[in-house]
Amino acid sequence: MEILLQLVVSGIALGMIYAVIAFGYQLTFATSGTLNFGQGEALMLGALVGLSLVGTIHGGPYLSYWLMIPIVVVFGALQGMFVEWIAVRPAIRIKSEFGWIMSTIALAIIFKNVAENIWGKDVLPFPSPLSSEPFTVLGANVQPMQVAVVIGALAIMLAVEIFNRKSIYGKAVVATANDRDAAGLMGINTRLVITFSYALSSATAAFAGALIAPLTLTSATMGASLGLKAFAVAIIGGLTSGMGAIVGGIILGIAETATGFYLSTGYKEVPGLVLLLLVLAVKPSGLFGKAAIKKV
Amino acid sequence: MNFKMKALVAGVVLGFSMSSMAAEPIKIGVSGPFTGGSAPMGVSMRDGVRLAVNEINAKGGVLGRKIELIERDDEAKNERGVQVAQELINKEHVVATVGYINTGVALASQRFYQQAKIPVMNNVATGSIVTKQFANQPENYIFRNSANDTIQSAMIVDEAIGRRGFKKPAILADSTNYGQLGREDLEKVLEKKGVKPVAVEKYNIGDVDMTAQLLRAKQAGADVVLTYGIGPELAQIANGMQKLGWKVPIVGSWTLAMANFIDNAGKNGDGTRMPQTFIQNPDTPKRKAFIDAYIKAYNPPGGRMPSAVSAAQGYDSVYLLAAAIQQAGSTEGPKIAAALEDLKTPVEGVVTTYNKPYSHSDHEAINFENTKFGEVRDGRVVQAK
Repeated sequence: MEILLQLVVSGIALGMIYAVIAFGYQLTFATSGTLNFGQGEALMLGALVGLSLVGTIHGGPYLSYWLMIPIVVVFGALQGMFVEWIAVRPAIRIKSEFGWIMSTIALAIIFKNVAENIWGKDVLPFPSPLSSEPFTVLGANVQPMQVAVVIGALAIMLAVEIFNRKSIYGKAVVATANDRDAAGLMGINTRLVITFSYALSSATAAFAGALIAPLTLTSATMGASLGLKAFAVAIIGGLTSGMGAIVGGIILGIAETATGFYLSTGYKEVPGLVLLLLVLAVKPSGLFGKAAIKKV
Repeated sequence: MNFKMKALVAGVVLGFSMSSMAAEPIKIGVSGPFTGGSAPMGVSMRDGVRLAVNEINAKGGVLGRKIELIERDDEAKNERGVQVAQELINKEHVVATVGYINTGVALASQRFYQQAKIPVMNNVATGSIVTKQFANQPENYIFRNSANDTIQSAMIVDEAIGRRGFKKPAILADSTNYGQLGREDLEKVLEKKGVKPVAVEKYNIGDVDMTAQLLRAKQAGADVVLTYGIGPELAQIANGMQKLGWKVPIVGSWTLAMANFIDNAGKNGDGTRMPQTFIQNPDTPKRKAFIDAYIKAYNPPGGRMPSAVSAAQGYDSVYLLAAAIQQAGSTEGPKIAAALEDLKTPVEGVVTTYNKPYSHSDHEAINFENTKFGEVRDGRVVQAK
């Protein structure tokens, strides 16, 4: 029982990392029908920028961990706007169905290379703001930082959801998400809304990066595999549902740790991908997704 | 072009080629990962190699010629290593190559050297079969001066089971060639001692969560963790053990001395033990000179060599090769290899003094006598007591 609980705890902490990135995929997909395949790189850049501010590299530390977070979020927002401006807007303008796929992947590779040149290719330790000493809950060991990751991830997703539902700007986002053309006719600057959604999605990823870095170690290559797994989560949970991201993330996280323990650590990654295939076969819109009807 | 003109051109070309012949440098290839998770080893090796070459060149070189290094980053990737090998052999015409950090890259690449009859001096890769890949052929061009996995696995087991008396070892190895070949070696030695590991777990490069592997080991009642992997993931193991509140000693292959393990594991890495051929400890004048020269030339953070073993082995490998070229009086591969197998004069290195290190049947310079145990303490590797 304790074992299962330990696996679940670790799985949830891991799954929430996937969930925040998956949430970022959803934000841009909702408004523009496009995805940023550099979402993992946005996370990596957030973590490395954060490291420059609080770590001992580049002559630091300059700031405390908590002061660094807002700067990283602002940086992430700017980076997301840049991605939208250079890679996505041209594709939307010419109504290209797939141009944004290659251009966001291209930008992701460029970001990775730039990061490798600034921060090096080595894996770097990220100073932890909380004690790494675990405490025990019902026999399972939990690190304070793991709790912080879960709370932080939930908090940012909740904040974005509240913003979308309550504020007038949020309503513009929701309107654009529902019907971009109609929203445009109603006087909503949909282009601005799309840019904004990209800023928001990269900002959440950058925030996630700064949040998880003390647990996972930091490097220029940390984004690639996390971004890919999070994409699987977004598909499992459904690309239109914030709830789907959370549930999908937790399912994948627990599936990975549980398979690793009960089956074999060699097959750790398999069940998540089997689940992905199953979901695509049975309910292609994802567990929580709305089926999109596209008339041609 | 009339005949006079042709003769003139021919004369000039001949003159140039002859003048350049006299001082043409001896090209030696260097292949290793200078980027990625293995980079601390590759870069340290390269730096050690450069130090030795600079010293040799300052004293006038070998056979009156300077040594020129042709360095290539193999990125720890097998296919890249193969490309590098072909380029060094066919385009650069190296007389020998030093390097190979990764066992997999070595195994994939060195067949080209074997075919071209050019010696390879593995100065870091430890897979037991590296030097035996072509042992059945009449001439074997693969040499090594690092503690191979047969030596290391025996030492690891001896330390954990023999000296410290642990009875239930768990093995954690990564899924690369290095990790899996090392795991096989460990299991073989354990079997000889009549001990069966209570858990044998695997993980991938880049894994950020080791809970499943560590829980399996913990549940199986392991009292010591034996590892075969490289720095970043080894740090995840040490950190993951702390996450689970599970405290047993780690004993593993020499890579536990890598800076990216020590830094990322922090205090969770303290007490970890691994076999080392060289520890950054100036206990002889030769070693002191080497360490001082290294720190002066490369100024590593905190005055700590990122991978002292790689640097020292890289440094020594050049001296062994230079001695062989000197003795052979030639830069032809077969003659160098023959000289290496029968080195007449001892070569003083920083790891040890090599006295007839190789023979026709034995291409390993390092043995149990010149390998000792290191221990991580306060962010450094010190001699284990």
